[in-house]
Amino acid sequence: MKAVGARLPRYDGVAHVTGRTVFVDDVRVPGTLWVKALRSPVHHADITRLDTSAAETMKGVHAVVTWQDVPLLEYGHLSALGIPADEPLLAKDEVRYKGQPIAIVAAEDEETAMAAVAAMKLDLQEKPALFDVRKAFDADAPVVHQWGNWYPHFEAEMDRRQIRKGDIDRAFADADVIVQGVYRPAAIEHVPVETQSCQVVPEANGRLTIYSCTQALYFSLGVVAAHLQVPLNRLKVVGGTVGGGFGGKVDTATETMCCLLAQKSGRPVRWRWTREEEFLCSSTRAPWHMEIADAVTEDGWILGRKMLTLHDSGAYARFSPYGLTKHSFHHTGAYTIPNLHFDGYVVFTNRVPTTAMRGFGVTSVSFATETHVSRIAEVLGVDPWEIRLKNANRIGDTSPNGVAYADPSTVPVVKALADGVGAKLAPNLQAMTPAAREGDLLPEHLVAQIGNPEDH
Amino acid sequence: MNLTVNGVAHEVESGPLTSLLDVLREELAITSPKAGCEQGGCGACTVLVDGVARRSCLTPVASVQGTEITTVEGLGSPSDLSPLQQAFTHHYAAQCGFCTSGMMLAAQAYIDGGGSDGHEAIQEAIAGHVCRCTGYVKIIDAIAAVARGDEFDLTVTASSAGMVNLGGAV
Ligand code: FES
Ligand code: FES
Repeated sequence: MKAVGARLPRYDGVAHVTGRTVFVDDVRVPGTLWVKALRSPVHHADITRLDTSAAETMKGVHAVVTWQDVPLLEYGHLSALGIPADEPLLAKDEVRYKGQPIAIVAAEDEETAMAAVAAMKLDLQEKPALFDVRKAFDADAPVVHQWGNWYPHFEAEMDRRQIRKGDIDRAFADADVIVQGVYRPAAIEHVPVETQSCQVVPEANGRLTIYSCTQALYFSLGVVAAHLQVPLNRLKVVGGTVGGGFGGKVDTATETMCCLLAQKSGRPVRWRWTREEEFLCSSTRAPWHMEIADAVTEDGWILGRKMLTLHDSGAYARFSPYGLTKHSFHHTGAYTIPNLHFDGYVVFTNRVPTTAMRGFGVTSVSFATETHVSRIAEVLGVDPWEIRLKNANRIGDTSPNGVAYADPSTVPVVKALADGVGAKLAPNLQAMTPAAREGDLLPEHLVAQIGNPEDH
Repeated sequence: MNLTVNGVAHEVESGPLTSLLDVLREELAITSPKAGCEQGGCGACTVLVDGVARRSCLTPVASVQGTEITTVEGLGSPSDLSPLQQAFTHHYAAQCGFCTSGMMLAAQAYIDGGGSDGHEAIQEAIAGHVCRCTGYVKIIDAIAAVARGDEFDLTVTASSAGMVNLGGAV
């Protein structure tokens, strides 16, 4: 623990302030070609014709790649976790979001690459688009995805993430008040100052060297190898220097396409997304729709929670089933609620696919829960600190998915917050610790949910 | 066309309307100015043109012909850090580092203009420079420290980058 509180040098600090740090787009390899993409100009359409011949024969164009050039077109980001693939690397017969890549080109310079994209002929049959998760279940809703409008492949092929704990009907029957709320945090773009960028150099020995701004180097290695259908030892990924990621550089957004162009052209290639592409075509933090109904007593105990979550996944699954799973495990926030009825859906819409961003899945429900607890306090006329501390996670309490907490931090955090804003806590609240519940803090409704932290 | 960058004279071949950013990065391979947006919005491409902070992505190279350009490489080197470079290191003002070059050149122009250590004045000076990592506080602290003339003992941070040296007081 000697490092805690000590002033340690950043290993890259001096390089940053002297301009020595080499980011991906700073790598200079002679003969490097520029990459540009033909992207869907609409939110939802069938592709009726794609003709890239004019681009292919253009002076200065070295390679054009479409879906036909990809050895394995669909590979799921979380295939390794049993989440099946659903997203083509390049669109084949349908585009499901505005900005979806359809064809890519490598050319002598940026201008030529842009001219080649402009010369590609694309005919589309536009279809109605879906943007509102609440309409996804309507009989007349546009169908977004080959699996329908929501992800159907949770364990045992369930179409939702479901949690049932305790006796929800009894909790609602015993309640003095039902407090409801709907919470809808919007999408957030990560906006790294370094846009998505990649360079790929075909080596003389047949290997590809991939300079990547990925946050997840080994992850990208696996995804590229799968699409290319090559063993891992044909690829060398150089990473570790990321100009801001915040979760948005977990997806393998550029590497595979650059590899295909490098293979086809035999030349080093380089792709740096424009700021416009970053905003319009890169993944975002997901928007969420959360409906909560809590069964509460007059004195501020939360007996039960019914919750419906619609997680806007955008056009493909990517990390969303995993994000929703985390969300479900945390759907009571920092509090212990013994009776639960939770249904969560990963809903497909014609928006950019959503992805990781700083605690994704959990931040949304923390926002909803904290707002809702304050709402309960207001409805009951009870001190919001008291509600938080009474219902706070304690040692031995169990989480929505049945894990007994060994070291929950709600009590010290809430007390520190009260202290931070100068709120005066009543003596009985000030005296609280995270210790296992007993006495007044173990009312009848909580007895059955107590678990043993040693079991985990 | 002639351009002097960090004291070195260059003969430039790019066309007159090529952005100064592209000339520096693509023709001269001076890569510290970054292409964060190429439309004047982020500040990552900022360089000094005869001492004035300019967004190189919006500057046609013909308009700066014959001037002295300074990029962050021209402020100091790893073995001889300028006061601003020391301050950014000491205050951890560079996190991912991508905004850092542009931010430091805006700060250098502010310091050279006799800027004070007042936080509002510093905020004004770096307005339009986007940093998504630091939250700006450490950057403002670093610039204020230079404006005040603080001195830094960087024996730990500068000499042993990558090594944990708990003995040195910095
Ligand atoms: S790249 Fe010049 S302001 Fe963003
Ligand atoms: S340090 Fe990352 S953008 Fe400023």
